[in-house]
Amino acid sequence: MTTEAVGPMTSRARVLAALRREPVDRTPVCNPTSVATVELMDLVDAPFPLANRDPELMARLAATSYTELGFDSIMPVFSIIQESSALGCNMQWEQKDNWPTVRMSEPIWRDADDIRIPNDFLLHPDMVCVLDAIRILKKRFGDEVAIIGKTMGPWTLGYHCFGVEAFLLMSLDDPGKTKLCLDRMKEATLQFGLAQIEAGADALTLPDHATGDLVSGEYYARYLKDLHVEFAERLPVPLILHICGRTIDRMDYIAQTGMAAFHFDSKNAPDESMTVMHDRIALVGNINNPETLFAKGPEVVRQEVLKNLEAGVQLVGPECAIPLQTSIENLLEISQTVREWHGARGRAH
Amino acid sequence: MAQLSDITNAAIRREIEDFLERPEEIARTVELFARVSPLMQEIAAALIEGDNGAVDRLTVQALDQSVEALEIMDDGLIAGMGIVGIKFRESFIFVPEVLACARAMKAGMAHIEPILSAAGVEPIATVIMGTVKGDLHDIGKNLCIMMLRGAGFEVIDLGVDTSDDAFIEDVEKHCSPILGMSALLTTTMPNMGKTIEALIDADLRDEVQIMVGGAPVTQEFADDMGADGYGKDALDCVALAKRLAEAAG
Ligand code: B12
Ligand SMILES: [Zn+2]
Repeated sequence: MTTEAVGPMTSRARVLAALRREPVDRTPVCNPTSVATVELMDLVDAPFPLANRDPELMARLAATSYTELGFDSIMPVFSIIQESSALGCNMQWEQKDNWPTVRMSEPIWRDADDIRIPNDFLLHPDMVCVLDAIRILKKRFGDEVAIIGKTMGPWTLGYHCFGVEAFLLMSLDDPGKTKLCLDRMKEATLQFGLAQIEAGADALTLPDHATGDLVSGEYYARYLKDLHVEFAERLPVPLILHICGRTIDRMDYIAQTGMAAFHFDSKNAPDESMTVMHDRIALVGNINNPETLFAKGPEVVRQEVLKNLEAGVQLVGPECAIPLQTSIENLLEISQTVREWHGARGRAH
Repeated sequence: MAQLSDITNAAIRREIEDFLERPEEIARTVELFARVSPLMQEIAAALIEGDNGAVDRLTVQALDQSVEALEIMDDGLIAGMGIVGIKFRESFIFVPEVLACARAMKAGMAHIEPILSAAGVEPIATVIMGTVKGDLHDIGKNLCIMMLRGAGFEVIDLGVDTSDDAFIEDVEKHCSPILGMSALLTTTMPNMGKTIEALIDADLRDEVQIMVGGAPVTQEFADDMGADGYGKDALDCVALAKRLAEAAG
């Protein structure tokens, strides 16, 4: 990626240019999943679980990634469960120190014909919360920062609504039925995505957990590649596909989807991943969460940031939703290292 | 020493040739299958295929031919599961395939279990497994449970989001059990330590062997928490449980 001959950019312009793999003044710092932490909740008085359900608190907590951490993007959706809640899953909203989750042991669907996207899906309070939070953020930061929305892909919705094991067994037993289910669930992905774009989202993260820790790369090609192409065509903003875990064996397929970017996990080396992607899609990542950001100090964070910068990763940030107990100090180190690295290179010219 | 050609079942021979790489695992597996009857090999092969219908049918057939229930379990079902565990560890197969094998194992065990319990065959030990409080990840835990059952342990599955009280209640109920805790979130990992504290407070720590696992858990963390062992995958979990069962006598 070139960084020469580009005048100073706003965070928003920087992120959007990087997502198009165009020149930037410096590498943007971005986490398209979540940067919510307990420390940040205290700082702006926007604690979980309320910050997942109240648009003002959601917007306030999300904005800290820009105002406190110096990231170039804001992501108001901290979890992966807003639409599952709206679809009728049984929820566990948890406390301040844990993410809300779906009780997948109590599945709501068993068959393709059970799948129903309610007519008032977008009017559910947990959908409205996200849409309103995006509107608030757009008003407050719309010109400066990239506001990224999040709409879950059908594979993850399948885990939530059918239960992971039931869904994975179905995928093995009955590929035709599985495809039909995915096709029906994709309506939820599209509807929520389009509504967020209308509310002002500059880009959308699309998590769809077909990870190498669970399924083969061939599975990605069989079940998801075409759907992801369709999302890229029908959702008219840059899309960031998120799949954590090992994904190197499916990156070649991912690169062919037409998505703007892929948010990748530290289980995949930055340089090797860049080689596979071969300038067909931007990469976002991939600082390790549990071992580095959560458990180590700024020096180790710095090393991982540098590894990404040197590999040419287009947007640098954590690999997935950061652990809620991550220190602000470690998070600040990310944007600081990126700025210093570009500063040093600027002087060298 | 047994040779690959001593195994009559072509599917089993292919599995060993195509998927086993570590010399000691190859030797052990060849030795095992060269010794067992063609019908047991067939049961193992059906289990590896994840074919629950075939495992069900072949298990009934074997029982009809007066094969001992224990032999079917050890030489057919568990032997097959051994290969499944290795293929999963090496990423030749993934979670859906392993779930199908687990379902096939269950189909066979449905016939075996009543016979074993009527005959009073003792399991190696009782393992109480649960994902810790606040954590709903259970795929890894369930794979461990399946392998433990496959290896002859009795397993009590407490499910996900398990409270200290639930762990304690089951530890009290059983005689020198092994307690296995799983956590996938850094936010919930410390709950392992809290449960161990609660066991100490309840005066139960010495009654139980504790093992922990899950992607973010490390040996170092397990030591800090005061666990008796850490396992990095499902095969490791079984080996560890065997060690802990021995240590408990
Ligand atoms: C699948 C998955 C999910 C599924 C869970 C489905 C289910 N029923 O389990 C869904 C999509 C619902 C989900 C939800 C969430 N997830 Co999740 N998830 C994963 C994912 C992709 C794979 C985990 C998995 O099943 N691996 C496969 C199994 C086989 O491996 P395993 O669990 O490690 O188990 C093996 C060993 O560890 C060992 N083992 C396991 N237990 C035990 C126990 C003993 C005693 C022993 C000896 C051994 C042992 O043996 C197993 C077999 O080999 C990981 C990413 C990753 N690649 O690891 C993230 C990950 C675990 N999730 C993460 C997050 C953040 C979440 C959410 C908070 C997302 C959100 N923002 O809302 C929620 C939280 C839900 C909750 N409260 O628990 C983060 C955790 C970060 C952290 N460390 O804190 C991860 C690491 C992603 C990341 N890179 O950041 N998730
Ligand atoms: Zn993730």
